[in-house]
Amino acid sequence: MNPLLAPFQYEFMIQALLVGALVGAVCAILSCFLVLKGWSLMGDAVSHAVLPGIVLAYLIGLPLAVGAFFSGLLCATATGFIKDHSRVKEDTAMGIVFTGLFAFGLVLFTKIETDVHLNHILFGSLLGISTEDMIQTAIVAGITLVVVLLWRKDLLLFCFDPGHARSIGLNTKRLYYILLSLLAATVVASLQAVGIILVIAMLITPGCTAYLLTDRFHHMLGIATGSAVLSCLSGVYISYFLNGSTAGCIVLFQSMLFVLAMIFAPKHGLLVQHFLKAEKSAS
Amino acid sequence: MSRSTDPISHNPTLRLDVHDVSVIYNNGHVALRDATFHLQSGTICALVGVNGSGKSTLFKAIMGFVTPTHGKVRIAGETVQAVQKKNWVAYVPQSEEVDWSFPVSVWDVVLMGRYGYMNFLRIPSAADKQIAAESLKRVGMYDYRQRQIGELSGGQKKRVFLARALAQHGRIILLDEPFTGVDAKTEEAIITLLRELRQEGHIVLVSTHNLGSVPEFCDQVVLINRTVLAYGPTREVFTEKNLSHAFGGVLRHFKIDHTDQPGKAKHEMVMISDDERPLFLDTDEENEKKG
Ligand SMILES: Nc1ncnc2c1ncn2[C@@H]1O[C@H](COP(=O)(O)OP(=O)(O)OP(=O)(O)O)[C@@H](O)[C@H]1O
Ligand SMILES: [Mg+2]
Repeated sequence: MNPLLAPFQYEFMIQALLVGALVGAVCAILSCFLVLKGWSLMGDAVSHAVLPGIVLAYLIGLPLAVGAFFSGLLCATATGFIKDHSRVKEDTAMGIVFTGLFAFGLVLFTKIETDVHLNHILFGSLLGISTEDMIQTAIVAGITLVVVLLWRKDLLLFCFDPGHARSIGLNTKRLYYILLSLLAATVVASLQAVGIILVIAMLITPGCTAYLLTDRFHHMLGIATGSAVLSCLSGVYISYFLNGSTAGCIVLFQSMLFVLAMIFAPKHGLLVQHFLKAEKSAS
Repeated sequence: MSRSTDPISHNPTLRLDVHDVSVIYNNGHVALRDATFHLQSGTICALVGVNGSGKSTLFKAIMGFVTPTHGKVRIAGETVQAVQKKNWVAYVPQSEEVDWSFPVSVWDVVLMGRYGYMNFLRIPSAADKQIAAESLKRVGMYDYRQRQIGELSGGQKKRVFLARALAQHGRIILLDEPFTGVDAKTEEAIITLLRELRQEGHIVLVSTHNLGSVPEFCDQVVLINRTVLAYGPTREVFTEKNLSHAFGGVLRHFKIDHTDQPGKAKHEMVMISDDERPLFLDTDEENEKKG
């Protein structure tokens, strides 16, 4: 057998590839909105804040995803509350809230016996994902994907010009919470795959790469999704041979694509800008 | 153009009533206190005041973006929320408020003006597209429809957002400083368009630091400094005395005395400037009017 095809004989590899691609696609779509809205930090905050929710959900016997989702939302709402009711700025408030929640999660984790491995939550375990978890991930990811795509025009308008959105009768507060819930759901869906620490990369890099490559939003969605899916597939595949961190390989591949886009982008790339400058100074 | 989306022909008695409106921001800052004025259909009204006097805040109150802590805004007798659903209030934002690197084209932006008429998926109908195209042609930006919005000059950017307001078929059109960074030619074009809108029965409310052009195209003026100091017809309200009051010491004030002018015993002119085009007032005329 061709050694390059070796990974495909294992069912866990096929599963990992499928889940990876799905998670990559959802994160990529959302990343376009986060990048344009300037919500990168929000992604980081929500992903860290899910930890206590997971432990508490385990205690009560709820699905872990439910706990994670609500503790992610709590982080965003608490941030909003602090911003509105004190002189603390939003990013600072967010930093306080999410580190606090994360710390709370850590303390809970070390005090309460769970069958969840902290390592898996922090760094993901795409290769060791159980079928049950895989189905859960697929459902959350699938719903998120459908909702974002259906609502994408309103969400885009909300990111671009909330004033206009308001003036034509759109409920911007609702759009805010929709986007926030989508973010929390995406984080939940990605936890198994890439873990708390690296999900933020999945939530920023594809959108950023695409943003460098195009001036049209629908192209941006396509490019981001393409680059993320490619990264996930390649990352899983490469990690088999390296026997290294799967999430690490995925994110590394994404970062590499970003660097390539940064250099070679047709309009905003370093090379083009360099040549344009040279041309101008020559003429 | 379909009749049902043409708002003016249906309801000629449009009114904007701002009654005792106070706005206090979350940080406790009182941006507006007891602001009151009324506007009727078919008017261009200038909103004039120093930086931080609450012009944008007043716009936000009319758009329902901030809720007055006291008082009310009524449009044709209805609440702002009720009116938003009908797409009646269109807003042309201040340039600084827009992210010009956003990956949307001129065409995308103008279509956003039609969102309120589209279904939940926001798929434009043929009529929506036609109205968007007409709006772009009206401001002379149709040929630029494929451009990303950042690839336009300051004046072109303004016209694109004006086209969006036209496409929205709003009855009340709010323009926040439409003349900053715009050359005289574009300013003329915008003013011509605003006059047409007045002709069609719209209420156009313009905040501006461009004092010189106010008497040229505004029939009403609202002077504002954290409250409404004066409002009414331009000829009555836009006087040196009121402006000095509204601007305090901020205005540059020059008295030009050219008594040697033939045919007149004493002719004095006052030039008042905020930061852009200065306003010239003929003080003799003032005196004549008073006398
Ligand atoms: N979101 C906000 N939170 C707190 N204070 C605000 C907020 N927005 C505006 N203000 C304050 O309210 C006052 C009025 O602001 P506003 O933007 O309405 O002024 P303006 O008349 O539009 O000024 P400019 O000519 O500079 O555009 C200012 O003192 C401003 O600092
Ligand atoms: Mg302003």
